[in-house]
Amino acid sequence: MRLFFLAFVAAILPGQALAANQVALDNNVFVERVSTDASGKQRVLLEEPKVVVPGDKLVFVLNYRNASAQPADKFVITNPMPAAVSFADAGDTRPFVSVDGGKTWGLLPEMTVRTSDGSSRAAQPADVTHVRWAFQKPIPAGGTGKLMFRGIVK
Amino acid sequence: MMNAPVGGAMHQYRIPAISTLALAVALALPLQAEAAGTRAGSTISNTASASYDTGGGTQTVDSNQVDLRVDELLDVTVDSSDPADVPTTPGATAQLLTFSVTNNGNGEESFALSTVANGGGDDYDPAVTQIYIDNGDGVFDANTDTLYTPGANDPVLDPDESVTIFVLSTTPGGVADGDRGTVSLVAASRTGTGAPGTSFAGQGEGGGDAVVGSTGADGQDQGAYVVSAATVSLVKSAVIVDPFGGSEPVPGATITYTIVATVAGSGSVNGLAITDNIPADTSYVAGSITLGGAAQTDAADADAGDYNGTRINVALGTVAGGQTRTVTFRTTID
Repeated sequence: MRLFFLAFVAAILPGQALAANQVALDNNVFVERVSTDASGKQRVLLEEPKVVVPGDKLVFVLNYRNASAQPADKFVITNPMPAAVSFADAGDTRPFVSVDGGKTWGLLPEMTVRTSDGSSRAAQPADVTHVRWAFQKPIPAGGTGKLMFRGIVK
Repeated sequence: MMNAPVGGAMHQYRIPAISTLALAVALALPLQAEAAGTRAGSTISNTASASYDTGGGTQTVDSNQVDLRVDELLDVTVDSSDPADVPTTPGATAQLLTFSVTNNGNGEESFALSTVANGGGDDYDPAVTQIYIDNGDGVFDANTDTLYTPGANDPVLDPDESVTIFVLSTTPGGVADGDRGTVSLVAASRTGTGAPGTSFAGQGEGGGDAVVGSTGADGQDQGAYVVSAATVSLVKSAVIVDPFGGSEPVPGATITYTIVATVAGSGSVNGLAITDNIPADTSYVAGSITLGGAAQTDAADADAGDYNGTRINVALGTVAGGQTRTVTFRTTID
């Protein structure tokens, strides 16, 4: 039993180790909290939350780094939306989105959703199930970058 | 940023299928669809994945996973269910107002109920006697609904769940027709209330904090009674015709009595009856009762009038405000 377990771990580790050495993807989630100061000005603070409540605005930040000595081609980052988070926007990063669980992809304004009565309607941000960025040019060795999108706790 | 990410249509076909690992994470997340929001105590987990090719074929890497716990949001609304002011009458008891209480939060919560009857802006203060929790049929029945005792049987509501609440009041005797009396039902979260954002550490469902939502964790709405009263005034007059063509009250003269009953107000009176004793030294003229000009028999029968040997009686039944009834009868002077 123990031997089998070790063998299993050994079988899955090498691939991960190799990948981790080449491209790193770091995921941070912040909550936007709006506070009003004494003069009545509103300030938006980004906090790293441990807990959230429905309606909180979350900012998902993905930092990537190509740590390998080779350019990383066909570079694609995919973030499935957590089920309890409704997609809001992705700033100016223009990602592909999927509204059908990752089967088809496109820019949000081009996507449609089939309704229960058989017709279809334009997809809304809340329909998004996955967010994906596909890079046309390779990420050079040592290259880094940052992507973001916003969501709201359902 | 070294490279601007793009989403061109021609790029669509180059995209490798979503990594199985990322897909597995997506499927493992709990499904949350309640309108009240993600259930308190659940965890939001986020993981991204990247795929790329550094010359040795497509490789995949997952990001770290970020877990956020969802805290309990305390929100409640109260709505009056009565489509209009509820009519009442002076001194009436067990006058019914109907409300619904809805848990708009994302966790199971119990709510304390109370009423405010002296909130002002009305003409009188109804005296609230009981609060009942509906058994689910939406119809008040003291035998099947539950009498509410604060702290003992506070309604416990799931997220998005509503319960119907009945408020019973007594209308003071001194109120006038058209007076309005309001009662507000207040539902307050048992965990706590306060300014939105107020947090109660460790008191949320699932062991997290409970945070007051936009409703302040207490809600209220107002129901109203309107007094619909009626008053009756009687005016009696007599006309004497003597046997000689004059109007002297001499023996043998006939007296015609006219009683006009006038009902005023926005309500109506039930069981209104006009009774008049035949005065001494006069004799009732048989078959002389009329109601609205229509002759009535002396027997206590299907028509409204009767004479029992000492008095006449005309049963008018229910008469609405603004109406009059005219009764006449005749006697002769002995």
